[in-house]
Amino acid sequence: MFGLTFLAVFVLGAVFYYAARNRAFRLAGDTPQALHSRPNYHGFLAFLLAAIAGIATLVLIWSLWGALIESRYVAHIIEAQPELSPIEVELVLNDARALAEGGIASKTDALRTQIASEIGAQTALHHYGTMALSLLAALGAGLWCLRSAHIGWRARNRSETIVRRLLAMMAVIAVATTAGIVLSLIFETLNFFNNIDWQVHKFLFGTTWSPLSGVQAGKLDPDKVGAIPLFAGTLLITIIAMLVATPIGLFAAIYLSDFAGPKVRAWAKPMLEILAGIPTVVYGFFAAITLAPFLRNSGESIGLPIASESALAAGIVMGIMIIPFISSLSDDVINAVPQSLRDGSYGLGATKAETIRQVVLPAALPGIVSAVLLGISRAVGETMIVVMAAGQGANLTANPLEAVTTVTVQIVMLITGDTEASTAAGPAFTLGFTLFCITLLMNVVAQRIVRKYRELYD
Amino acid sequence: MLDDMKSMERVMADEDIKITAKGVDVFYADTHAIKEVDVNIQNKAVTAFIGPSGCGKSTFLRCINRMNDTIDICRVTGDILLDGQDIYAKDVDPVQLRARVGMVFQKPNPFPKSIYDNVAYGPKIHGLARNKAELDEIVEKSLRRAAIWDEVKDRLDAPGTGLSGGQQQRLCIGRAIATAPEVLLMDEPCSALDPIATAQIEELIDELRQEFTLVIVTHSMQQAARVSQKTAFFHLGNLVEFGDTDKIFTNPEDPRTESYITGRIG
Repeated sequence: MFGLTFLAVFVLGAVFYYAARNRAFRLAGDTPQALHSRPNYHGFLAFLLAAIAGIATLVLIWSLWGALIESRYVAHIIEAQPELSPIEVELVLNDARALAEGGIASKTDALRTQIASEIGAQTALHHYGTMALSLLAALGAGLWCLRSAHIGWRARNRSETIVRRLLAMMAVIAVATTAGIVLSLIFETLNFFNNIDWQVHKFLFGTTWSPLSGVQAGKLDPDKVGAIPLFAGTLLITIIAMLVATPIGLFAAIYLSDFAGPKVRAWAKPMLEILAGIPTVVYGFFAAITLAPFLRNSGESIGLPIASESALAAGIVMGIMIIPFISSLSDDVINAVPQSLRDGSYGLGATKAETIRQVVLPAALPGIVSAVLLGISRAVGETMIVVMAAGQGANLTANPLEAVTTVTVQIVMLITGDTEASTAAGPAFTLGFTLFCITLLMNVVAQRIVRKYRELYD
Repeated sequence: MLDDMKSMERVMADEDIKITAKGVDVFYADTHAIKEVDVNIQNKAVTAFIGPSGCGKSTFLRCINRMNDTIDICRVTGDILLDGQDIYAKDVDPVQLRARVGMVFQKPNPFPKSIYDNVAYGPKIHGLARNKAELDEIVEKSLRRAAIWDEVKDRLDAPGTGLSGGQQQRLCIGRAIATAPEVLLMDEPCSALDPIATAQIEELIDELRQEFTLVIVTHSMQQAARVSQKTAFFHLGNLVEFGDTDKIFTNPEDPRTESYITGRIG
């Protein structure tokens, strides 16, 4: 019903487009240049006004009316059975809806049947009423536009203003969503800190992470929410990953941009892009099932104890995952270094290697730095690989051969665990918020570095 | 015939020839860009290459320090001799050749480094300085010869890219001088500069003639007339006429040269 009305409004808008356009042609008569706006703009404005009026009415009336009748049902149910809790009221309402639509209800009784019949009567009115109102609104707006049009009608300026406002609205939606997510993170974080009696230092600097042990609902033990092992684990794995990804990615980029012939480039670049397209879950079980046992066995053969879930295995595979990001971004910035700089260096008798090391790389440095930082933020936020290959125990160690856990792994554990969501959400959101702060800080620092170099190298 | 060759060689010796090109052809893939060019470039003088756009003058210039080697599809045949030695011989390393034959480009292209490092780049690569003091000396000398020392001596650590266009071009000339080349090739060195900067560069070119052999490609006939002693006119890949600048501009032999310098073709 909703979708149908939506479509009808659009069709109406299209009709108005042609109507307004034709009217503009008629207004102009033999002197089309006398029109302030081209006929297409007349049509476009009529379409915009009709569509916006129709859709705005549809959304507003639909939701307001719906809320209104729902509140009436709820009042009705509470009146009939005042002892029900809000959740039970919701259940009765859902059953009644199911009955009204001919579905299966959990229970059928007098109250439910009564409400169901009420719903049946109201719903049709609600749907058809909304449809009629929004079509009327679209019709009104379109007709108003047709009537107002005259030779000097500023259809172009008006439609451009409307489009600009629509674009601004989309931007606001994007920004507002971000703000909403951050605010909810902050809110839940404050909630969690309240739960541990504002002993924030125990979260930030504590070394024991076991937030849910012995807790079913309610208060958490401040001594068991130390996040240091998680951040240490994240840091350790990130370092290993970057040690793998940075040299391989960067050198591959240098080879591809300055040494490889067009034939090698033609197949090597797509291959690297494929690496970027592999789902992280595949990397995860590759790390857990292939690399980790291989590392453990080779460790055993030289007498080195390597855990079957180790930071090393997770870090190496994560590094492989990040290679294409670094190589492809670096390749772009290296290619963007102007040929004139290379010529200048060759013209002074520099070799290719000298030119790359002393001229091309310094010129491309800001881009390379940002590629590496992008890689780091991916490593910090990566979840699937570490869930499968790094382990779950909050183990505070700098030894890459042992199992460690990361912030993201613990968030997964908390949210998918069987502790009540309201208790587990606190630490999870707080970890998420801390992670967010760290990545944000890193991005800001990265941008400052890049800007500083840019001033120097432009 | 033999006598002819001998007399020619004598003339060459008289004129103190630095670079000799014999039957040079250049191909870009299937395009024949330079056709059978013979030219003798005089030592410690300015030779100007003029001609309409696309006539091959820059391509030929880039043959003299083998810059065309960096272009995959480019093929050069014929002989180019520097001090009698074939620069396209197998045992010649283009990297060493380019240290002897420096190049200044159309658009100033300072490296994204400090002014000091821009000039020190070549000497460091070729190991011309044994210590910092010697390097400092080379940098100062090169910048003085490029007539830019007084403008930059207080900000040698500032990035070379922050200079004005004319200053950047003089910095690039200083950078080329710093490797102590024998020949300096300039590919339209003033085409991106304003008239005042152009005048400064032209003055500089005239001074550099004392120490270097200069070859300059230019679009401006006035510039060729002002700075060069010898002029070569290229047209459609052919070297049409080569001789003393005065003669080319006042009394050209080939009708095409005359048409070009009087502005009828070009």
